Amino acid sequence: MVEPWPPADDDVLTAELGAALREVGPVPEEFLTAARAAFAWRDVAAEVALAELMFDSACDAEPAGLTRSAGSARTLSFRSGAVVLEVEVTEAGIVGQLFPPGGGRVSAQTATGTYDEAPVDEVGFFSLDAPPPGPVRLRAHTEGYVVATTWVALR
Amino acid sequence: MTGRSATSLVSAAVGGDESAWAELVRRYTPLVYSVIRSYDLSGADASDVNQTVWLRLVEHLGRVRDPQALAAWLATTTRRECYRLSRLGRRTQLVDPYDDALDAYHGFSRAPDAAGPDEELLRAERRQALREGFAQLPPRCQELLSLLTADPPPSYREIAERLGMPVGSIGPTQARCLRRLRECPALAPFLGAAATRTNGGDRGGAVAAGR
Repeated sequence: MVEPWPPADDDVLTAELGAALREVGPVPEEFLTAARAAFAWRDVAAEVALAELMFDSACDAEPAGLTRSAGSARTLSFRSGAVVLEVEVTEAGIVGQLFPPGGGRVSAQTATGTYDEAPVDEVGFFSLDAPPPGPVRLRAHTEGYVVATTWVALR
Repeated sequence: MTGRSATSLVSAAVGGDESAWAELVRRYTPLVYSVIRSYDLSGADASDVNQTVWLRLVEHLGRVRDPQALAAWLATTTRRECYRLSRLGRRTQLVDPYDDALDAYHGFSRAPDAAGPDEELLRAERRQALREGFAQLPPRCQELLSLLTADPPPSYREIAERLGMPVGSIGPTQARCLRRLRECPALAPFLGAAATRTNGGDRGGAVAAGR
């Protein structure tokens, strides 16, 4: 039998809406607090380029021809124009490479602040402590550029 | 503040106006939360998705070209992050099956139902579409419909007093708000769908997770 949906009758639709809303309940206060607090991360410095997440082995299909590295490692790739930042995340920590290489430093931030910072070597490698759960972003400062990755949960 | 358009709230927030941001949060957290709840995530993962989505919006604010499309951006971003965390499969063992907060979610999927799984999935997706549509209604409509769907519902007189509107305009306002709900893009994939799966696709957790 074909019943048109959404129901044309206002009372029926109101009842169905009520059931749908009750099923999920109100937004927990904790969610509101975290959402409001996110505003503190507004980048006042507009010169920081945003490196978008281009690939995440956790949920994207492996690009053809790419050999998968160490078994349990998760790999992510961020990009902002010509700048590419690739990281491999394991329980032991983060190892990454910044391209083009040019020394400088990389810092790792959570929503509560910087949790680790490390130098970038002459070929662009760096390593950082294992990230805590929750969204993390990496910020790279080199002579030539400053980029910040988009926020993403690394573990 | 509640009457301001998303466009003016976004540009005020870009300029550093924290109260505009708070209003965006108030307006759109129900949408983000409702998408999160349509996925079977642990409490910690759900919180992390919520936090990630709002941090993403902060970094993305200056690039929002069409603030009217903000709801769609938020829903898509939330779905993607839910999918990412569901694939990470972390902490899944730590989900407390007796957590009350999860009961409402699991309630409908566990309930014995004469309908087949496809029909139950379609109904769950429709309820999700209703929640997303509701989250995109003007605040005034949300207030009225919340009162009308409360259990038990307050009397028309109480509603009129609380919203400061004449009793006589409750019915017409309800009709107008429901019309907006029916026209909401979130409901579009389901319009006129019979109780068999058509192209509801892409909306619910089960379907998205299988992509």
